[in-house]
Amino acid sequence: MSPGDIWYLIIGNPVLNVLIALSHILGGSFGLAIIVLTVIIRLVSWPLTKRQLHSTKALQDMQPKIQELQKKYGKNQQKLQQEMMKLYKEAGVNPLGCLWPMLIQLPIWIALYQAIMRALATTPENLLGLASRLYSWGIVNQAIPLNSKFLWLDLGQPDPYWILAIIVGGTMWVQQKMTQAPTVDPRQESTQRMMTLMMPLMFGFLTLLFPSGLALYWAVSNIIGIITQYFVTGGWGYFQFRSPFRAKQ
Amino acid sequence: MKQPKILFLVVIALLPLTLISCAPWGTQTAGGWAGTAFHDGIIYAGTRDGRVVAINSSTENLEWSYSTAPVTAPSGGLSCGQTSITTAIYGTPVVDRDIVYIGTYSGQVLALNMLARSQNLTFPQRGYGEWEWDCPIDNAKSNAIVADLLVSDDTIYVNSSNGRVYSLDREFGDLNWESKVLDEKHRKLWTSPVIQGNTLYVSTYDGHIYALSSETGELLDWSFELESGFVSSPVIYEDTIFLGSFDRYLYAVKMGSNVPMWKFPQEEPADNWFWASPIANEDIVYAGCLDGKVYAIEAKTGGKLWEFDAGNPIVSSPVFMDNLLIVTDESGTVYVFALSAEFGDEAVPLEIIPIGADVRSSFCAQEGLVYIRGEDNWIYVVDIDMGGVRWKVNLTIDGEGSV
Repeated sequence: MSPGDIWYLIIGNPVLNVLIALSHILGGSFGLAIIVLTVIIRLVSWPLTKRQLHSTKALQDMQPKIQELQKKYGKNQQKLQQEMMKLYKEAGVNPLGCLWPMLIQLPIWIALYQAIMRALATTPENLLGLASRLYSWGIVNQAIPLNSKFLWLDLGQPDPYWILAIIVGGTMWVQQKMTQAPTVDPRQESTQRMMTLMMPLMFGFLTLLFPSGLALYWAVSNIIGIITQYFVTGGWGYFQFRSPFRAKQ
Repeated sequence: MKQPKILFLVVIALLPLTLISCAPWGTQTAGGWAGTAFHDGIIYAGTRDGRVVAINSSTENLEWSYSTAPVTAPSGGLSCGQTSITTAIYGTPVVDRDIVYIGTYSGQVLALNMLARSQNLTFPQRGYGEWEWDCPIDNAKSNAIVADLLVSDDTIYVNSSNGRVYSLDREFGDLNWESKVLDEKHRKLWTSPVIQGNTLYVSTYDGHIYALSSETGELLDWSFELESGFVSSPVIYEDTIFLGSFDRYLYAVKMGSNVPMWKFPQEEPADNWFWASPIANEDIVYAGCLDGKVYAIEAKTGGKLWEFDAGNPIVSSPVFMDNLLIVTDESGTVYVFALSAEFGDEAVPLEIIPIGADVRSSFCAQEGLVYIRGEDNWIYVVDIDMGGVRWKVNLTIDGEGSV
């Protein structure tokens, strides 16, 4: 069995078939199927998300102690960082933890991209290729071929009006602002600020390249992220936080 | 140290996404699977680079070749710049007297005169009866012509990816009529029409068989509806339409009836779609399935007479030659069955001939020879008596063994 076969057996085909089955259950709407699948994926990955959110909350709660350390070791950056790391370790918090959920989601994005392109069968070859990837579930076979239209979107094509790009970029920015814990190092702070801007911009740009079905997943996933973040950490987190370094500048 | 680490992780995460947006990973681009036609000693076929070729079967030489024009179009969003619409050809060329008719994935129907093409004159030579017709996109995603053209009397019927059926004058390519959009949901007609008398029958992916007036294109009173879409082109035998559905059944529908006469298999569905159109002879329907099996079915009752498991999907429709049934599976193995043979549940082929290339195209057979275009862009001429490939020719320009 080739790595490609293993990929399709474990991830590619299940995502494809669940998506098509959902589409049939939801009255033939592929867009709604993507939204529901996003909710399911978020539910399945909830333990991971929960851990991440609690880390964020812990970082938030640690702020007084961090400020104390800043005051104490403000002139000695090396010592400050050592103390900070000690503090993080004691609290069981990983400041880079927020990146892991994104990396883990990468296979899901690729599987979704493939599922969308295959399920919508944009070429005759794709339609024929779909036959070998479908389960024998009646619900799946009755749904084929799918309707690619959803709201103003053709889910197999990028959004020509850029609306989805703005939504994806905007929601990602809000989510990042809510979760980015402040740092004590001005250099790190400037990188973080750049990242908070760069990531939404990049995903907004990717939305213009990818089929809007995948961008729909990103948008819904971000919105769910904002809502869970709001309720788990009890508010907007660091959204309204103003960096002390920016004030100094 | 952490800053480069973070950036590295982000780049690693986003790079594959950027790459897959510009590469067809997990998907397949339109390459075409044009079949072969044999007429007056010449083999006609579409190639994977969008050419129509005519090959002399006696000399094994290229008589002529015509390249359909490349087309570029802006893609949605930013995408990766301009998208090149390939000039793939899916339909089988239709030869009538000295004209070859072909539909292209870029939405054109071409009438190519054999003499004008062999002299390599500029296309179209109207004096030679050549013409070209551009299918409108009509607010759909595509105007691609995937289905085989139907040539009947003075008319050519075209099913378009924009969801409409078009009737063209065979001599000049003028538009006679266009039908209403038959499949609003998918706007995609990739199956071919079929005609009986003055009525045109069209199957759709939203599960309809429509009857249209061949004179005006207007929908007639009768139509048939199924919950699942129809995957194969309809075939008429006597007064019954046979076609495969996405629900993995083959249906027999009596014209004028609102319920299927039968569906096959009678109980559990097959293991995959009946993608290829079936063929019928002497009250027996022969159907290839993507589950790798060929079935012989009683046309009147839907009862199974025999089956044969090729082990690989049957993508191309079977053909008859004299008293033989020729079947090709996707892996490129040709199976020959005697129509007169009495089988039990399992049929036994007279001959099994591997050609060594995948096959998805429709093929033709005449006078003991089977003409197959492989997915490797070669034409294979299979000699049934010899039990092997008699000769083959590479359709790729400047490829080894090319004409």
